[in-house]
Amino acid sequence: MPQRKSLTRRDFIRGTLGATVGTSLIGTKWLTAGGKATGSSLVTIVRDKGAMDASNNVNTKVLKTMLDQTLTKLTGKKTTKDAWLTLVKPEDTIGLVPTPHLNPTHQEVVDVVKSSLIDAGIPENKILNAQGGPDKPKACTALIGLPALKAHWLTGIGTVMKIYILYSGKPSNYHDQNNSKLGEIWNLPFVKGKTRLVLVDALHPLCDKGPQVNPRYKWAYNGLIAGTDPVALDTVCLRIITEKRKELRGEPWPLSPPPLCVEAADKVYGLGTSNWDKIKVEISGWKEGLLLG
Amino acid sequence: MQESKPTLPKTIRAWTRPDSPQLVTAKSIFDYMDGAGELYIGYRFDHLESYEYKAKDLNNILVEVYFMKTSDDAFGLLSLDWEGEPLNLAGEPAQIAGKPVRSGKSPQSKAAPESSSWPRALYGEGLLRLWSDTVYARIMAHQETPESKEAVLALGRSIIKDRENPPPPKLLQKLPDTFPEDWVLGKERTSYFRSHLVLNSIYYLGQENMLNLDLSSEAIASPYEKKDSEGIKRIHFLLVKYSDHKRARQALGHFHNVYLPEHPIFLQSDSSGEISNMFLIEDGWLGYKIKDETIAFIFECPDQKTARTIINQI
Repeated sequence: MPQRKSLTRRDFIRGTLGATVGTSLIGTKWLTAGGKATGSSLVTIVRDKGAMDASNNVNTKVLKTMLDQTLTKLTGKKTTKDAWLTLVKPEDTIGLVPTPHLNPTHQEVVDVVKSSLIDAGIPENKILNAQGGPDKPKACTALIGLPALKAHWLTGIGTVMKIYILYSGKPSNYHDQNNSKLGEIWNLPFVKGKTRLVLVDALHPLCDKGPQVNPRYKWAYNGLIAGTDPVALDTVCLRIITEKRKELRGEPWPLSPPPLCVEAADKVYGLGTSNWDKIKVEISGWKEGLLLG
Repeated sequence: MQESKPTLPKTIRAWTRPDSPQLVTAKSIFDYMDGAGELYIGYRFDHLESYEYKAKDLNNILVEVYFMKTSDDAFGLLSLDWEGEPLNLAGEPAQIAGKPVRSGKSPQSKAAPESSSWPRALYGEGLLRLWSDTVYARIMAHQETPESKEAVLALGRSIIKDRENPPPPKLLQKLPDTFPEDWVLGKERTSYFRSHLVLNSIYYLGQENMLNLDLSSEAIASPYEKKDSEGIKRIHFLLVKYSDHKRARQALGHFHNVYLPEHPIFLQSDSSGEISNMFLIEDGWLGYKIKDETIAFIFECPDQKTARTIINQI
């Protein structure tokens, strides 16, 4: 049996993260791939300068238009209703999963998604807030992740891969040294295959790790970022945060700890791709400050 | 639990606080702030008192007063981010990197001379963070306006009023301002801590607590920088002090086995009782030196000569 090895900075520099994490996880239960929602690694970025005013209040009318654009671009359908119906079924019990703390998802984003689903014919009583413990996803047949774009002091990035951390029942098990294992939560039997869409609230992201929000590191990106490949989405989110940090310092300012969970979600858990060259990014709207390098 | 010394005004301009704070202990801190609680219990945390000041038609002001068991720990929390405008709430000269910043109009403080070289309060975009004796505080206006800034600063002054003004941690005195060959201390990125989680958030070393850090140890991480024709070069300096030599030696052995597994470990001390080693790894030269209960590390040295010079200097 290969010897278990502790992951170090040196693995990260050598690019041997996948192999080292894989070795360290031998014997864990939920290693197998299969949580990826579809085969597509399309990521859409829709931005509108008017999504927030100067005081960072959200304009819900603009936000609704951005959501409509996101859904039609992502699915290739002409209407929002048709787009939703390629992602979910009317008989689904749909769980919306926002970021609950520390730069939480804007309530306006949750509300506009819910009302859009209702407009598409999903009964209101079949749409739940599914953020919380393991019972939440068990009550749902479909999940829609609504994470906020943010860095995180224990996991590097705290956006897509981290959104289901409470489903583990033991969130502290996935902090810091174990953030590379966040992908295994997506393969839990009551989570696996349920994610139909991830829509990232990138209206007012946080680019430093915190742990508590410092407004100095927030900025108006005014965007929604969406896709069905959670790893591709986090890869794009990571690029935006990394570029913003570089812009702030005028030199590379790497996240610490490094966001091991993103690469591991690809190479260990098979949840999607972290290879930038395999991700198709479609951009609409406001182009200034895209931060895609 | 320590005495709740700062007394915050019931009303500050248009904002009013509730009669009593939300009290947060080490047991309840994760309910209050999720995983961020790991930061505070990584220091010698006693308790937190949190107030939400409210005003009609205005955004709230959140006041969080962290009562720590030592002033070093309160300093450590502020030291994790030196960004922001250094403020002089008490009247002492506020400086960073040896450069004076904004002097205040208040009476002269009773600060020890060495304490003047580190800011005690930093403000930016609605958030004031301060260190005052055993208290670390965050005061944040959810929407920054001239009025909210005045209120935030007034609340900061009320927190530090009548509190002692001890110097920063003694361990900082061991940091040289420069190393030979023009390596200059990056004071604005110098942090004081006790936890490997905090270390990894400053300078990631690896998965496990390979330096055996805990609340009985103390550490400083700081970059040293050098400008040349190719731009800015940076090496990373880490100083860890343990409760005794035995613990330091065990920690060094653990570090070596995890981080440098391909190199045989030799922990034979010379006549001075010191042990030092250097290794070329992926991101440059790594060196360490242990003496008594303290270990110094340098990471990412560009060449062996620099590593040796610095190790010999420590």
